[in-house]
Amino acid sequence: MFIIEFVLLMFFISIFAGVFGSIVGLGGGIVVIPVLTILMGVDIHFAIGASIVAIIGTSSGSASTYVRDKVTNLRVGMFLELASTSGAITGAAIAAYTNSAALETIFGSILLVSLVPMVMKIGEDVPKSPELRGVSKRLGLAGSYTESDGRVVNYNSTRPVEGLAGTAVAGVLSGLLGIGGGAFKVLSMDLAMKLPMKVSTTTSNFMIGVTAAASAGIYFARGDVDPLVVAPVALGILIGAVIGARILLRSRNTTVRKIFAVVLAIAAVEMILSALGVSV
Amino acid sequence: MNVVIGEVLRYGVILSGAIILVGIISLAATNGLTGITGMLTYNPNVVPHDNIDVSLGGLAQGLVTLSAFSWIELGVIVLIATPVSRVVISVFLFAAERDRLYVLITAVVLALLLFSMLVTPFIPGFHA
Repeated sequence: MFIIEFVLLMFFISIFAGVFGSIVGLGGGIVVIPVLTILMGVDIHFAIGASIVAIIGTSSGSASTYVRDKVTNLRVGMFLELASTSGAITGAAIAAYTNSAALETIFGSILLVSLVPMVMKIGEDVPKSPELRGVSKRLGLAGSYTESDGRVVNYNSTRPVEGLAGTAVAGVLSGLLGIGGGAFKVLSMDLAMKLPMKVSTTTSNFMIGVTAAASAGIYFARGDVDPLVVAPVALGILIGAVIGARILLRSRNTTVRKIFAVVLAIAAVEMILSALGVSV
Repeated sequence: MNVVIGEVLRYGVILSGAIILVGIISLAATNGLTGITGMLTYNPNVVPHDNIDVSLGGLAQGLVTLSAFSWIELGVIVLIATPVSRVVISVFLFAAERDRLYVLITAVVLALLLFSMLVTPFIPGFHA
């Protein structure tokens, strides 16, 4: 394939990846990695390097809008980043002693299983707000945002320890494999902490940039971040993330949850296939 | 607070996007886009695997000589630095709100982040 074709194709595909990644809070890696490895024949190491950059691009490109419009909960994000960054360091420390195929099978299966509660909540607009108490109250893990129709949604959160634990798993995965963190962050905030879906995906989006940056040093030093692969991906992702952020703000929580459930299923299957040796 | 963090992210993204675009245009101008992607080979025996000088010296030299790859690399560094700057500024914003608990939380996150980015790549046995 000619480089000019590669650059243009990756640019347009990355716009698509940025749109979806910014809506569901997973970053664009879930699209970028299989496209690079299967369609473009790029080595998996370069694909993961590009995915790290894609995740940071999705995060920063959309978070500027989400944060300004106060859909992202900054306090929840900062609090959970304690777990995601610690997890990333732990993942890097244990990488030599773990079997990544076994891990991908386990975590892919967890994602598949978590589809059940996710699907059971399909149709839920705003969760019944739990009482704010204990650690959540002390940390101020509550907030409000305005829907596009002008309705103000006030919400509280619960079970911060479970949220922290789920986010730590997300961090370990990022540190180990460079991928897969976003899904566990959204699930932690949605299933454990009972935050509204849009708050969960946009706060995940806010956090994944920091988690990916935590792992970026090693990929950069190794030379896995190839300029030719990364350049069209980064530009496309940034444009896609800006578009995706505008779409999310106008979407309903129920719509975001449906899209997330579909993407979650794809992420789970990708992870299990990868464990079986299909390089996605 | 939300406005400042939003602006930091926005300018980081615009700056990195612009630098990467300069890199791609300069790549096209030097006929760097006419080759085939067979050159995208991953060499597991050599570090860095893409045979591109990732050291600061190599980067500085490439920027001076207007090497397209060095400009793209600089853009990527700015992009990676964007969420880091967001954490740095959050420490000060929470301090301005006199929110001691979150100053502490954010400072710990920043320390963990910098340790993970800058120190762990050089610890033997990590990332193996």
